[in-house]
Amino acid sequence: MRNPIGWASLTLFSLGFFAFIYAPLFVIIGYSFNSNPVNMMVWDHFTLDWYRGLFGLAREQLSGSVMPASGYVESTGHMLAALRNSLMVASITTVISTVIGTATAIALSRFRFRLKGFYSGFLMLPMMMPDIVLGIGLLIFFVTIGMQLSMLTIIIGHCTFLSSYVFIIVQARMAGLDPALEEASADLGASEWLTLRKVLLPQLAPGILGGALLAFVISMDDLVITYFVAGTDNTTLPVYIFGMIRRGVKPEINAIATLIILASVVIAAAGLWLRARKTD
Amino acid sequence: MASLEIRAARRHFVTPEGGRVAALDGIDLTVGANEFVTLLGPSGCGKTTLLRAISGFEALDSGSIRLDGTDLAALPPFKRPVNTVFQSYALFSHMSVARNVGYALEVRGVDRKAREAAVESALAKVGLTGMGGRRPNQLSGGQRQRVALARSIVAEPRLLLLDEPLSALDRNLRQQMQIELKTLQSRLGIAFVFVTHDQEEALTMSDRIVVMRAGRIEQIGTPREIYRHPRTRFVAEFIGETNLFHATVDRIEGAQALARTAQGVEMLLPATGLRRGQAVTAVLRPADFSLADQGIAGRVTRAVYLGSDLQLYVQPDAGGEEIRVTARDGANAPATGAAVHLSYAPEAAHVLEAA
Repeated sequence: MRNPIGWASLTLFSLGFFAFIYAPLFVIIGYSFNSNPVNMMVWDHFTLDWYRGLFGLAREQLSGSVMPASGYVESTGHMLAALRNSLMVASITTVISTVIGTATAIALSRFRFRLKGFYSGFLMLPMMMPDIVLGIGLLIFFVTIGMQLSMLTIIIGHCTFLSSYVFIIVQARMAGLDPALEEASADLGASEWLTLRKVLLPQLAPGILGGALLAFVISMDDLVITYFVAGTDNTTLPVYIFGMIRRGVKPEINAIATLIILASVVIAAAGLWLRARKTD
Repeated sequence: MASLEIRAARRHFVTPEGGRVAALDGIDLTVGANEFVTLLGPSGCGKTTLLRAISGFEALDSGSIRLDGTDLAALPPFKRPVNTVFQSYALFSHMSVARNVGYALEVRGVDRKAREAAVESALAKVGLTGMGGRRPNQLSGGQRQRVALARSIVAEPRLLLLDEPLSALDRNLRQQMQIELKTLQSRLGIAFVFVTHDQEEALTMSDRIVVMRAGRIEQIGTPREIYRHPRTRFVAEFIGETNLFHATVDRIEGAQALARTAQGVEMLLPATGLRRGQAVTAVLRPADFSLADQGIAGRVTRAVYLGSDLQLYVQPDAGGEEIRVTARDGANAPATGAAVHLSYAPEAAHVLEAA
C-alpha cells in the first residue's frame, strides 16, 4: 500500500531534483532565442539571428569569400575557429585513446606478466589525478623537451588521461566476457588474429564504442588541461568561452551552447541505442 | 584401430600458497576410433585438465598425446583436428546461429555455398533445421546446447571433446540429450570424450568410463563393470548408492564364503579369491536387498518415498552402519519403526580388490 503523502513528497523531490539539474540548460536554450544583443538576460523578443549569424559566418568562412569586417563578427569567427579546433582535437584524441585503451585492456586481461596489478593501478592514476596537476605537469614536460605548444600538444595531453577512461570501460566489458569464447574460436580453427577480429572485437564493441563516445565528450569539454597546453593561436571552444566570459558574453555563446547540448543528446542517445542493440 | 593415445601424461599446478598440486599424475588412456569414453570424477580430479590438454589449452609437463599416430604437443589448439563443446556453450552472441555453426568453415576459408550446405546438414543432425537465422539469445538452453554441438561437428573433427555440456539443463532435457548424444556419436562414427561429475550421465551414455581421482585413473571399464565390480572403495561410493560392509572371512564352503562384521552380522560372499581370516570390504547396492523372513535383522529408521520405490534406512539389530535398501512401494511396504529382515543373493555381493 502506498503512503499518499510520502508518494507526493517523493514526486515533488524528484521534480525539484531534475529542475535543479536541467534549469541552467533550459535557461541557455531560452536565451539563445532572445533578440536583445546588449543584455541577454533581459528578454526582448524571439529571434533566430544568433543561429543565422553562426551558420552564415560558417558558410562564408568555408568558402573564404568574405573576410570578417567588424570586430564583433571577428570574435564570432574566432569562436567558430575554436569550435573547429575542438572537434579536430576530440576526433583525433578519440581515435588514438580508443586504440591505446582497448589494446591495453585486452593485454592486461589476457596475458600474465610481472607487476600486472601495479601496471593496472597506474593506469587509473591519470583519471584520479586533479586536472590542474596533470595540466601543469604536461606544460612543464613540453617546455622541458622544447616542444612548441600547439594542437599536437593538446592532443597528446588529452590522450594521456582519456586512454585511461577507455581502458577502464573496455576492461569492464572484457571482465564480463566468457574466456571460453576465445577458446571456442581457437578450438574451431581460428588463429589469434582471426579470433581478435571475428570474436573479441565484436564482443567488446559496446564497450569500445562507449569508451570512444566518453573520450570524445570529455575531450570536447576539457578546459583545465587544455588551458595549460594550448598555444596562443590554437584555443579550443571551452578555453575560448572561458576567456570570453571575462571580456563580456556574446549572445552567440547561447546558440553555440544550445547546439552543443543538442549534439551531446544525439551522441548519448546513439550510444544508448547501440548499447541496447549490441548487448544481450 | 586406436584413435587417441595418452601416455604417462603429467601436469602440475602451483597453488597460491606455493604448493604443488598434481592435476594429472601419470595418465595412460587409449580411446578407440568410434568410442564414447567418459571421464568421471569429483571436481579437482583432473578430468577437465586432461580434456584441455587434448584440446591444446593446457600443456603437459611430460608424457604424450597422439591422435591417429600424430603427436599433438607441437600443434596449437587451432591446428588440432579436435573440437570441443564447452560447458558454457560459448556461443558467439553477435552472430546468427548459422554463422556460429559455420564458423569453423568460415575461418578455414570454405566458400559460402559449401558452408551453407554443411551448416544445414549439421543443424539437421541436431534437430534445429530452419533455426539458422536466429540469434543465440533467442534460443532456449537446450537449443543453445544443440547449436554448440552442431558448431563443433561441422568441420568433421576426428575427436569430439565435451566438457560437462549437459550440466546447465534441467533433468528431463538432460536425459533426452544423453540419449541423443549417444545416437549422434554412433551415427557420426567419431570418438567422443565426455567429461562429467554426474555418475548417472556416465552410466547412461558411455562405452567405457574412466573414473579419476586426484590426477590418477582409479578404474577404467564399461558402465556395468564399474557399477557391479568397482575396484576400490572410492569407485564404489562415487558410482551409485552403496552399502559397504567391512568383514572378516570365517570359513569357506564351496563357492561361498561366510564372513562376519565387527558387530557380528553374518554375510555370505562369493568365495572367489578369498581365504580364511582375510579382512574384506563387500559392496551391496540398495537394490540388491529384498525384504524376507530371515536374513539380516534390523529396524527401519526412515522410509523415503521415491515414487514407485521406497528408500529404506535399516539399522541392523547387531549394530554397525545403516543399510540403504530399495523396496517397492505398496500396501504392505514397511513403515518407519518396522522390524524387517534383509536378504540378498550372495553372488550379488562384490568384494573390493583394494580397500
